[in-house]
Order: sequence, then structure tokens, then C-alpha cells
Amino acid sequence: MMHFDPMVPFKYWDALLIGLWMSLRLTLICLALGIALGFLTSQARRSRFMPLRALATFYVELFRGTPVLIQLFWIFYCLPLLLGFEPGNFASAVVALTLYAGAITSETFRASLKSIPREQYDTCRALGITGMSLALWVVLPQALLRAIPTLLSNAVALFKESALISAVGMADLMFIGSSISNRTGRPVEMLTAIAVIYFAVAFPLTRIVGRVEARILRRLAV
Amino acid sequence: MAQDKLLKIHNLHKSYGDLEIFKGLTLSMDRGDRLVIIGPSGGGKSTLLRIVMGLEDIVGGDIYMDGKPYILRDGAKTKIDRKLQARVGMVFQHYTLFPHLDILRNLTLAPVKTRGMSRAEAEEKAMGLLTRFGLDAKAHAYPSQLSGGQKQRVAIARALMLDPDLLLFDEVTSALDPELVAEVEAVMMELAEAGMPMMIVTHDMHFARNIASRVVFAAGGVVVEDGPPEQVLDAPQVARTREFVERVFAKKR
Repeated sequence: MMHFDPMVPFKYWDALLIGLWMSLRLTLICLALGIALGFLTSQARRSRFMPLRALATFYVELFRGTPVLIQLFWIFYCLPLLLGFEPGNFASAVVALTLYAGAITSETFRASLKSIPREQYDTCRALGITGMSLALWVVLPQALLRAIPTLLSNAVALFKESALISAVGMADLMFIGSSISNRTGRPVEMLTAIAVIYFAVAFPLTRIVGRVEARILRRLAV
Repeated sequence: MAQDKLLKIHNLHKSYGDLEIFKGLTLSMDRGDRLVIIGPSGGGKSTLLRIVMGLEDIVGGDIYMDGKPYILRDGAKTKIDRKLQARVGMVFQHYTLFPHLDILRNLTLAPVKTRGMSRAEAEEKAMGLLTRFGLDAKAHAYPSQLSGGQKQRVAIARALMLDPDLLLFDEVTSALDPELVAEVEAVMMELAEAGMPMMIVTHDMHFARNIASRVVFAAGGVVVEDGPPEQVLDAPQVARTREFVERVFAKKR
């Protein structure tokens, strides 16, 4: 039995850094694409066109109700069949995590749109603010403002979920960390080190969520 | 036509499902009128204002403004003349300012985006109104930084930006702490003295007596009594009004 050696992970800091960069890059790309997809999906779910509404609802429920790991395998094995060529691991990972992020952020937008009080719409009609003006200058800014804290939480969740792409062989923080642990036979030290790195990124973000939320709630308390 | 009434509500019917709110309500208003509507709660006072603002469908009847058809029941649809609607303004119980905009932008949004007023012109007009109401120092504050009384004065200023010919006040002091009621009522009195036609729903009988040129007691879906405040509040002619007024004033004492 080996003793716990906290210095082991430090020998591999450069490899871990490369893995972290991959995890962060993937999270940021999928978050940006996922927010856009999520906003469009939230609008589609309010559409008067039934097939569009049904499709959007099916997509959201499917991706919210199944394990992300299985979604990843679906995309990795089905995307090449659908496209007729191999899109590459990175592109497949982006597609998979974007679809997941889109599903969870669409719910965020749906809730924030619903939380705009009915009286705001009455006021706008009384002031003659209708149609595009209403959507662009009153509804959209308030929906975005109300969505920000939850979107930040979505970002933290996505960053942690991104560890799953290691299962399909992407060289992210999780993959590199576990490879090192297999090779060195130091799983406890390496996995703890990985957890600390994930935590070091996620924790400040969750703290920011709390602060931003308090600020926005103060603003919206009218 | 000078003799045309500013507003003429004729045989108004309104219901929510099985609940009949108005059963042929008829009421008219002159340019110099400041109408206070009183009546039992749940009797549709706020609904009446919302209908006049064009926020509600009606079941039957018609409303004319300056002799022109404003709101009509046409077959299965309520038809509202948007041009005439633009001449009516409304202030709501819960202020409903835009929380994402500062006070100045709360005032300028509607005129700039929907009336084609230039930003400079709108801002000048807004600052004029804010100064008049003692709120110029708050022009760049956000609604959440204001007291209830200040918010309600901003809401009144916002409605005035569009130069309404008729201003509707729906229980505008009901959500306020008692010590903030006076500042809002003072602004309304100032508008009354400047000749602004108003239709007011309030629970404050003392204020009603001060500001009204006419008091309308509505109950059971119709107008029960309509006359100057000295009559309706102090010496009601109809038994039902007398009962209501006595009960309301008894509660106060």
C-alpha cells in the first residue's frame, strides 16, 4: 500500500493545464451556441404553429430527461451516419453539449419570460407600445435580465457536465487526469487534484451567481 | 361639435364567464369633469377603467369619444379605434414602471418609439414634467431606488408624456404607505386644477370629495346614482347609495 503523496499531480501540471483549456474552450463555445439555441427554442415553444411547438417540446424533454453520457454516445455514433462523414471528435462534442445546453437554457428563458408581470403588458398597451417595440424594448431586456442568474448556474453545470466527454476520448481535464492516474497508479491523488481544479473554476462562478442575482432582484423589485 | 360629450358609454355589457359585471351601464362625461367612481368592491370599478382604456373585450354596448365611435361590439369581436385609444392615458395601482430603464427613459420610451418624437424633444419634455413634480433629481435613478409615492408620480408623468385628453386613475394610492398618499394626491389635485379630465377609482372618500366634480355610485352592474359630491356623498337620493356611503363612513370613524 502506497502512502498519499499530494505532490504527484504537480509533476503533471502542464498536461493538466492543457486539459483544463480544452474543458474551458468547449464549455464557452457550447454555452454561447446553447444560449442562442435555447432562446430560439423558448420562442418556438410559444409558437402558434403546432408542429414547431411539438418539435421544440420533444427536443427539450428528450435532452432534459436522458443522461448526458448517453446523449454523447448518440451524437458520436449517429452524427457520422447522418452526415455521411466523420465530423471529428471536437465538432461532435460541440454538437452534443450544445444540444444539451440549448435544452436547459430554453427552460431558463421560458421561466424568465413567464415571470414578466401581466401588468407590464397592460401598461404598454395603455402607452401604445405594441408589436416589435413591445418585444424589443420591454420584453426582451427584462427576460434577459431575469435569466442572467440562472444562465450563470447553467454555465457552471455545463462546465462540470463537460467532464463526460472524456468518455468518448476527448482530451479534456478529466481525460488527461484519469490517464495520468492510470499510468502512475495514483488515482486518489490525481482524481482529488482534478476535483480541486474543477472546484477552483466553478466556485467563484457560483459566488458570482449569488451576487448578480441579488443585484438584479434589487433592480427588479418595483 | 362642441356639444359632443368627451366620453359616452352606452348600454355597456361585460361579463367574465358566467359572472355579469355590467348589465347595461350608461354614463357620460364632459370635458370639465373629474369623475370619481365609487361602489362595492368586486363591482367592476377597475374593469370600467380597463374597458375605457381599451384593455378589455366587451359583451355589448358602445363607447363614443367626442361623438366618434371608440369601442364597439361588432358581431363576435370588440372593435377599438386605436387613434382614439391613443388619446386616453391610464395610471395603475402598482405603478408598473419599466424596471430595466431609468426614470428619464421610462418617460421617453413611448413617445420616442411609438409617436416618432425625437429623443432630444422627449427628454426636454420629460425633464419639464419631472421638475414640475419635484422629481428632476431622480431622472437617472432606477425605479427600484424610488419610494412608492415617487414611483406613482413618475407613472403619472409617464402617462402625461403622451398628452392624453382623458386620464384614468385605478386605485393609484391603494398600494402606498399612508404617509406617501398625500404627495400623489397633491399631484392629482394640481392636474385637476389645470383642467385635466379624469376618471378616478378610489377608496379614499375624503380625497373623492376634494377632487371630484361628479361622483358616480355603480353597483349591480349599473349606475345607481350620479351627481356632485355634495349630493352623492353627503345627501344621497337613492337608498342603496345611502346604505353604501353610511357603511363606508362608519368604517372610517
